[in-house]
Amino acid sequence: MSPRAVATERLRKVLALVPWILAHPGAHLDDLAARFSMSRRDLERELSLLQFCGLPPYTADRLIDVDLRGDRVSIRLAEYFERPLRLTASEGFALLAAGRAMLTVPGADPHGPLARALDKLADALGSPQGLVVDVGGAPNLDVLRDAAREHGQVEIDYYSYARDEMTTRRIDPLRVFHAFGAWYTAAYCHRARGERLFRVDRVRAVRATGERFAPRPEADRHDELVYHPHPDDLRITLRLAPSARWVPETYPTEEVLDEPGGWCTVTMAISERAWLERLLLRLGPAAEVVAPAEEADAAAVAARRLLARY
Amino acid sequence: MADRLERLLNLTATLLDTRRPLTLDEVADRVEPRYPDDRASRHRAFERDKETLRELGIEISVESVDPLGGAGDVGYRIRPERYYLPELDLSDEEREALHVAVTAVRLEGDDAREALIKLGGLTGESAPAVADLPASPVLGDLFDATAQRAVVTFVYRGEDRELEPYGVVLRLGHWYVVGHDRARDAPRAFRVDRIEGGVSTGGAGSFSPPDAFDPEQYLRDDPLLFGEDRPVRALVLIDPARAGWVVEELGEEAVEERRDDGAVVVGLDVVNREAFRSWLFGLLDHATVLEPPAVRDDVVGWLRAVAGNEGDASHAGAPA
Repeated sequence: MSPRAVATERLRKVLALVPWILAHPGAHLDDLAARFSMSRRDLERELSLLQFCGLPPYTADRLIDVDLRGDRVSIRLAEYFERPLRLTASEGFALLAAGRAMLTVPGADPHGPLARALDKLADALGSPQGLVVDVGGAPNLDVLRDAAREHGQVEIDYYSYARDEMTTRRIDPLRVFHAFGAWYTAAYCHRARGERLFRVDRVRAVRATGERFAPRPEADRHDELVYHPHPDDLRITLRLAPSARWVPETYPTEEVLDEPGGWCTVTMAISERAWLERLLLRLGPAAEVVAPAEEADAAAVAARRLLARY
Repeated sequence: MADRLERLLNLTATLLDTRRPLTLDEVADRVEPRYPDDRASRHRAFERDKETLRELGIEISVESVDPLGGAGDVGYRIRPERYYLPELDLSDEEREALHVAVTAVRLEGDDAREALIKLGGLTGESAPAVADLPASPVLGDLFDATAQRAVVTFVYRGEDRELEPYGVVLRLGHWYVVGHDRARDAPRAFRVDRIEGGVSTGGAGSFSPPDAFDPEQYLRDDPLLFGEDRPVRALVLIDPARAGWVVEELGEEAVEERRDDGAVVVGLDVVNREAFRSWLFGLLDHATVLEPPAVRDDVVGWLRAVAGNEGDASHAGAPA
């Protein structure tokens, strides 16, 4: 961090710390260090600096009075810092959004301490109705959350969207969480013999096996929610009309070449055939497969197959 | 370093405590540690301090100190009403609940944590991650504009838009800003991640949102099915392999017929042909449109075009 950024961060902490100590005379240094996420050494450094701060002409009656006794501290003569600095627009938004999201997670208490805190916060920010967060639910969400909490093994019928196939597998659900607009469970899959992520809305049925599994730390698999192409995955190059601009905005691409007039050529990795067919059918004349040559008629083949149904 | 922090603290205290704006000379005469004597470097040092305070969200207001209100000397102060956090009166329990939420819900950046530190710090338990929310640098400004009742302008799909923002809504993994589109004189929802560049905010108090406004109303329907076409009821046959899924997705009320082999016929109100095709093709070989002829013909025509010209993009009439 640059010296300037360090000064900014230290000032930010001090401007939060002083009002708290003013309101809580005799605050314990360990509590303060934890509460404001500082080391005890840094905290003591800021407290000794504060004794030299105040208002002009910096005489004893104008300097901040820091009274440190053992592990406890009180502050006087800093009335101008008696309330914290207001939240920035981004801070207010982020705190309210996190809280509102938490409140829509199934099982949250709609009248508990969190709900009360958020009402106060939204009023103070001046927009009681201006932020709505809906993380949604899924039919088997509750039963999977219960299984994860109680370490209960379950058997699930699971639909793999990319492969367009249904499977039945035994899993140990380690954790259930929401990301990218959907609920997932990170689980040990006995069929795959490894940890896998499952989208809860594609879990068709859940049956308890009656077995318990030993709790174990779960690797942070958030990263896997974004598709990471395998070197062996098919690479496909599409030329896209301006109306298909949403494709590179929505899916991971390896290369995007913009052309005049809003056209572009994109190269993407494709792990499953069904996924490619859906995309090409949806895009219709707005997409053309440029490479590889053997996939040039992928859309036509899928379209003829579907046409046979009519 | 310590000198700089000391001066920033003293500058904040002085400008917050003063009842009248102070000129730069007055600031330099009072605040310690001293600003440089040389005028140019003094000005530079003061500007740098001002910028640092601005980064923290402290606004220094620049006001005329000319008694006749002319454009003479300017003075500086921090207006208390723009500095202090309104009293929130949070209990320990409420603060701890916010802390749990901030640790359980991940949002890019440190803003939620910083906010919590201002509200009295991080206390109590933290929680394992429960949800990830998408982030965008303009969300704070859009939300603030709903609070200020300020009109926002931005570029969306290459067009300038002017919106009276009523609310910011997270739905199906995307943030939307909803409100009244001034040019179209109609309610509109915009996906925040598709806003091109930044958002400019106009003056505060320039519109009144409707009473009892429910931002979700604007997005009540599946955004995929948002559209301007006239609604048409379409019947779609879903084969037994996917019947259960589709009924779960659309709800039991969408079921028009259950067949002996396990297949179902579902009814959908189609208001956007493109979104409908996308939904239908998502089911690949498991779905067939039965009625009405107009929708069926649209799908068949589309498939024929794709089957026939092998996706030659040069024929592209952009899909409606």
